[in-house]
Amino acid sequence: MGRVFDPTAVVGRSWLREFAQAPATLVFDDFVRVYFSCRPPADRNGQYVSYSAYVDLDRANLMQVVGMADAPIMGLGDLGTFDEFGVYPVSVIRDGDRVLAYYGGWARCESVPFTVAIGAAESRDGGVSFFRLGKGPLLASNASDPFVLSGPKVRRFGDLWYLWYVAGTAWLENDGKPEAVYKIRMATSTDGLHWSRTGRNLLENRLEANECQASPDVFHYRDRYHMFFCYKYSLDFRNNHRGYRIGYAVSDDLLTWARDDAEAGIDISASGWDDQSIAYPHVFELDGSLYMLYLGNQVGRYGFGLAKSVPQAEAADCR
Amino acid sequence: MKWRRLGRILDPSEVKLIDGQCGYAQSPQALPFDDFVRVYFSTRIRDRHGMFVSQVAYVDFDRDFSRIVDHSREAVIRLGRLGSFDEHGIFPMNLLRVGEKVYAFTTGWSRRRSVAVDAAIGLAVSSDGGVTFEKYGDGPIFSASLDQPFLVGDAFVALFNDEFHMWYIYGTKWIRHSSNEQPERVYKIGHARSMDCIDWVRSDHRVIADKLGSDECQALPTVVRFNDRYHMWFCYRHATDFRSNPARGYRIAYASSEDMVSWRRNDEDAGIDLSPNGWDSEMLCYPHVFHHAGKLWMLYNGNEFGRFGFGLAVLEDC
Repeated sequence: MGRVFDPTAVVGRSWLREFAQAPATLVFDDFVRVYFSCRPPADRNGQYVSYSAYVDLDRANLMQVVGMADAPIMGLGDLGTFDEFGVYPVSVIRDGDRVLAYYGGWARCESVPFTVAIGAAESRDGGVSFFRLGKGPLLASNASDPFVLSGPKVRRFGDLWYLWYVAGTAWLENDGKPEAVYKIRMATSTDGLHWSRTGRNLLENRLEANECQASPDVFHYRDRYHMFFCYKYSLDFRNNHRGYRIGYAVSDDLLTWARDDAEAGIDISASGWDDQSIAYPHVFELDGSLYMLYLGNQVGRYGFGLAKSVPQAEAADCR
Repeated sequence: MKWRRLGRILDPSEVKLIDGQCGYAQSPQALPFDDFVRVYFSTRIRDRHGMFVSQVAYVDFDRDFSRIVDHSREAVIRLGRLGSFDEHGIFPMNLLRVGEKVYAFTTGWSRRRSVAVDAAIGLAVSSDGGVTFEKYGDGPIFSASLDQPFLVGDAFVALFNDEFHMWYIYGTKWIRHSSNEQPERVYKIGHARSMDCIDWVRSDHRVIADKLGSDECQALPTVVRFNDRYHMWFCYRHATDFRSNPARGYRIAYASSEDMVSWRRNDEDAGIDLSPNGWDSEMLCYPHVFHHAGKLWMLYNGNEFGRFGFGLAVLEDC
């Protein structure tokens, strides 16, 4: 359907110059709130911080932006905390009359550029502003997840809470410019606060052993669980042949996943804002249709777009 | 209580432990055997950027600490690979016998940009009596949480009443006085329990009351049980101007408890204070108390956080 939101066109918000990364939705009666992460201009050393905010889309016409956050949904963390330099990405879920957010918090390191841990925050005003559940992370590295922990996506199926996330498995030296390798993993919880991690990779690699996998977006549809995600090469991924593409896997039990990227049903465009890479899919069901939000070139530097699932019968008719 | 000083028992300039070693024998911790006592500690080398890196070594003393009978000749435990929590040093390391194994609870250090470092607690296991250790994973077993946001370290683990208890420290804040000074940290003693030494449940209360106000730094708890009570020694200092100002540096403190939940702090009972002169005349820190040969012993560091080695004291009366 095309690009929904272009952050570079926004004016009057010092914390938003470019990037609208990792879209995640919260559906209201009249609009769909899409959270994303954005950046002010880089500092004098060329380093960025990330904030998270939202735009509201007209529920009857998702291509129409009807509102936008006046401020980030939360500030950055205090000196020395895990989220001092970024709140990115964010995944939200309703829990009674509050909205919970799970997010990646970014700290800067010496030998590697950064590390990430997963934080939690709560909103009492319908998702406009969030306060941290603590100054520290909800999920930090442990024996089986020794490096970055990022990209949380929270869901509830039945009585259980699920958190899909991205776990670093190595830092590659890469001639003094270290790059992270990360895989998709899962944790479960009965209360959203105490999580039990499975400690293993959910998806097989397709590109290489060091393939990077991100944005594990799971939904239940027609009696099966479906996961869209994105994947890339670990090195030289700014070259568009090695950058992010969107993959797909299916499961009956949430533990065993059959990867079948050919079924993802979306690839880079022939030209335009999403002609080099596509990343960070988020799929949601709304008023009887399935939609996917996704990022285009340079991992959302120029915003996110929307796609609508074409029913298979209809697709078959087109052949 | 009263500790009788037996003097400095290790001067790191006199034993060659690790290539490039440049002083320091910090946070000595004992693993007693039948006929000798192995004492682990952290010594320092400089990395290729000229920055300090802590590495664990050990020295074996004979049963009455009268002489050194052996020592390690390379790092006892390897540092973590690129990006690991223990990439830039391991300090300290606490030992506990669990069946035939020796468990080591390490504090791993990794460097940060806006503040100097972060820390988390790792586990390594020895099957050869503490000569070599294998890490339990590349990551920590115990690290920051919602309410304990950074600088989790200084684990001391003991088995009491069929349950493992860990006392440790966690950071509460970083203080920045001015833009041209390094931020300074504040940390407090915490407590957690476990059945397997891997999954830990934190106690949600403060363990030790502050004496120097909310910015007091509390470090390196060590706990022993005797006379039907639990006894903790630890060290504490001011948050700023503590490195070279002896009035604000580390001292050894004491608290006791009947239930490991409620602790009564009484520093006057610590039983040890600065020497009038010498290697432990300006600072006392990193106490480690242990049973051995029917007595209670304390290893500890002196001036400059253990740059000049560690000493030993024995409890005279309790």
